[in-house]
Amino acid sequence: MSEQTEFEPKLVGFLCRWCSYAGADLAGTSRKKYPANIRIVKIPCSGRIDPLFVLKALRLGFDGVLVSGCHPGDCHYITGNYRARRRLALTKKFLEYMGVDPRRIQASWVSASEAGKFTDVVTAVTNEVREAGPNRLFTEEKEKRATATA
Amino acid sequence: MPQLQHEARALLEQGKVDYILGFEPGTLKFSTTPLITKNKEDCARLVVNPFIANNLSVYLPKLKGRLGIVVKGCDSRSVVSLIQDNKVARDRVVIIGVPCAGIIDLDKIEQLVSRERDEIDDIVRQGDRVAITLGNGKKEFPLVSVLADNCLACETPIPKECDILLDPTDTLVTDPSAGQQRIQEVESKSVEERWAFWEKQFERCIRCYACRSVCPVCFCERCFAEETEPQWVSPAPHWQDNMSFQIIRSLHVAGRCTDCGNCERACPVNIPLRSLSKKMVDLVDELFDYKAGTDKSALPLMASYEADEAEGVFR
Repeated sequence: MSEQTEFEPKLVGFLCRWCSYAGADLAGTSRKKYPANIRIVKIPCSGRIDPLFVLKALRLGFDGVLVSGCHPGDCHYITGNYRARRRLALTKKFLEYMGVDPRRIQASWVSASEAGKFTDVVTAVTNEVREAGPNRLFTEEKEKRATATA
Repeated sequence: MPQLQHEARALLEQGKVDYILGFEPGTLKFSTTPLITKNKEDCARLVVNPFIANNLSVYLPKLKGRLGIVVKGCDSRSVVSLIQDNKVARDRVVIIGVPCAGIIDLDKIEQLVSRERDEIDDIVRQGDRVAITLGNGKKEFPLVSVLADNCLACETPIPKECDILLDPTDTLVTDPSAGQQRIQEVESKSVEERWAFWEKQFERCIRCYACRSVCPVCFCERCFAEETEPQWVSPAPHWQDNMSFQIIRSLHVAGRCTDCGNCERACPVNIPLRSLSKKMVDLVDELFDYKAGTDKSALPLMASYEADEAEGVFR
């Protein structure tokens, strides 16, 4: 493979079942276009997100993680998204201190009617992660050198 | 010291507690070891000195009955944190507070005099200086050069939540910038360099879980590290798993950690764990204006929220 192919990031999106997943669904039924880089996982609530999921996704080689839930005050379970916000803010800042590019960990509020916002968020996140480059955080040093010189 | 022995003995004699948790001289020179006893005669062995490093609150959730516990400032906050988490009831503990004047870091002393601790004859604290006797020679150093890093950054040397407060022997000399130095070293690196730095550190980890065992707020009955379905981290000591374990551990103790520094002290391969825990303490304070173990009636950090906080993280 001599020709250079442009790096296409692989993203995992954890979408809350009540708002963001429905928002993504609406984007689909309204035939709106958004990058196909995101793989969507439906979760019951953004409050279901454990920092472990974020870390595991990075460990599995995803280049970025997006967590999306209902706007503050709109949580189906009243407080789930507030809890998610505390946890994710801390996770993002702490991982930045550890050496994870903050562009890899993204979060948004998307309601069930915001198909436009959903496509905007996914496009913006994909572009940011593309700038951040491929995730080599958990690869062995040797492999890193091999891919850098290849 | 006789004051502590007297108080502890009285508590046992009056039946106010079933156990006393304190410190006695250890088998290694200068070291202390936890003393957990029902026997009032053992109270004569209790000591308070600049080497009582352990955080004894780690034993609280594991012991039954009423417990009299000797705590320093940071330990008393751990006790409060355990009360907040319903791991121990306030009326089950009698807190004996030691106004802490700082813990002396023996590693720093060994480096300063370039001798092993067995070759040092005596270490005496005198105000803001420390005198070290080596054979017939005597050397003096400023106290700030031998105190543990977490003590240099300490804000609560005197236990606030306690039933008995012992008389102070000395006052703590702090130097917050020195206590923060190693964190700033990490922060001055670029994001890629930081990861490379931590990767190097965690290559040494042997996953003995000493950090988890000494930590009073690492109290899960089943740790995620041992879960097999799904298996979050492999039990084998690969740096990727070691690092994942420690990152998640740090997040689990967020809002509970009081920067007692025992994880770093317990680490057999000298991973600078306090550079993680202290950073987490600072982040929690910066983002949520929350200080662990300062209010026993407050909800734990992750069980509460404010309507507007951490703006800018969510789009």
